[in-house]
Amino acid sequence: MVSWIVLVIALVVSLIIVIKAADIFVDNLVDIGKSVGISEIILGVTASAIGTSLPEFGSAMISVLSGSPDLGVGVVLGSNIWNIAGILGISAFVAGGIATGARELKRDGLMTLITGLILLGFILFVSSITAAVGIILVIAYAIYMWVLIKDEKEHKNESSDEPEESASTEAASTENQKPINKKRSLLMVVIGLVGLVVGCEVMVWSGVGIAKVAHVPQMIIGLFALAIGTSMPELVVTLGSALKKLHSLSMGTILGSNIFNILIGIGVPSLFTAIPVERLSVTFDAPVMIFVTALLILLSIRNKKLSRWGGVLLIITYLVYAVLRLFVLA
Amino acid sequence: MGDRMYEKILIPSMGEYLEETSAHVLKLVDDRETELIGLYVLDTSTPIFTPAKVKEMMVQELKKRGTEVLKEMEETFKKPNIKFKGIMVEGDPAHQIIKTAEQQNTDLIVISTGKSKINKHILGSVSEKVIHSTPCTTLLIKTE
Repeated sequence: MVSWIVLVIALVVSLIIVIKAADIFVDNLVDIGKSVGISEIILGVTASAIGTSLPEFGSAMISVLSGSPDLGVGVVLGSNIWNIAGILGISAFVAGGIATGARELKRDGLMTLITGLILLGFILFVSSITAAVGIILVIAYAIYMWVLIKDEKEHKNESSDEPEESASTEAASTENQKPINKKRSLLMVVIGLVGLVVGCEVMVWSGVGIAKVAHVPQMIIGLFALAIGTSMPELVVTLGSALKKLHSLSMGTILGSNIFNILIGIGVPSLFTAIPVERLSVTFDAPVMIFVTALLILLSIRNKKLSRWGGVLLIITYLVYAVLRLFVLA
Repeated sequence: MGDRMYEKILIPSMGEYLEETSAHVLKLVDDRETELIGLYVLDTSTPIFTPAKVKEMMVQELKKRGTEVLKEMEETFKKPNIKFKGIMVEGDPAHQIIKTAEQQNTDLIVISTGKSKINKHILGSVSEKVIHSTPCTTLLIKTE
């Protein structure tokens, strides 16, 4: 009983540390980038792409490198299924729908589907994800980032004649631009990185411990406990932006995170050590991930909106998946 | 009070139902000399764990949308008898609407409502909150 309590507390505390450390790391890295003259567009795209996904990446990386690859693969696949079926489902239900632009569906939706298919293709034909596969995944992400930055530049140019504040408009004073202290930012980047590594170490340790005490496979802990926990930033950003009707940010956060999780979350750890993939993940988890992605695209494409009832369908899909995975196939 | 009933009107809008609200206001004002104040509230509250840079992006997007909404209002109310002023403030929408009405000493708030019953239960209603604490007469426009 005591070990249960200690492990669960360690898991919760480490999750909070990881999420906060990732935020500090990205926040200050962007500040340093700004101070050395890196384009705002590149920094904006990078911050939004990796800002919410570092916890998944960190835990996958530490899991794989510390000899618990099932946990790492579980975090990535579980997060991707939860992100779409759980988070987008809940957000669409609560906010009454999430509008989806053709651009996002075409570029990010298709890319999410393609990355899922690439991963499934590899794990179907090779017994483990090797460094060669990792290189392909990382190159694919680099290409995706290049397309994102190019698109963002074009979009910025198109909207450069955006409305200016009128003379009769009193604007809110929401900005208080602080000068960037490079030394402090650098220190915070290091602190963020240390927090991320230590937090992920503790999270993986507690995840492995809980799996042992509960007599469940590590994959299950990865697919559900760690996946849902590390996706907290995605949940708050997606739900928060859907409620404020910032639909593009809402959908973009999830699709960008899923692309990052596969291409970097699996790609980078595989550069260090070959990652074996459990049979059930090949035959069930990865196909479910592709299925929910395709379902999302189908539900959103018709009215250019993921409706409230589309959200309900995604939530039901997640519940069916969880029941099957936890009680039928386990 | 007769013709001089409403001289200063507050029109809060988050961009929704703007067309219907404006039509009502124009009908109400007619050709009387009136001061209209368009209000856009930047609701920048975010839940815990929202990354700082993402929050910054949200605020920028909301500010851009607020500028567009106020600009649209200014165009709509461009009439010789109307003096228009747009205000953008940050905070809780209902609280800021009431506060602005008090600060600007408006004698009417024109606000719209159009949420379904499900949405009202899940999301709550800004107009309901305003009506309960309004400092002046409030016209609630029921939209489709």
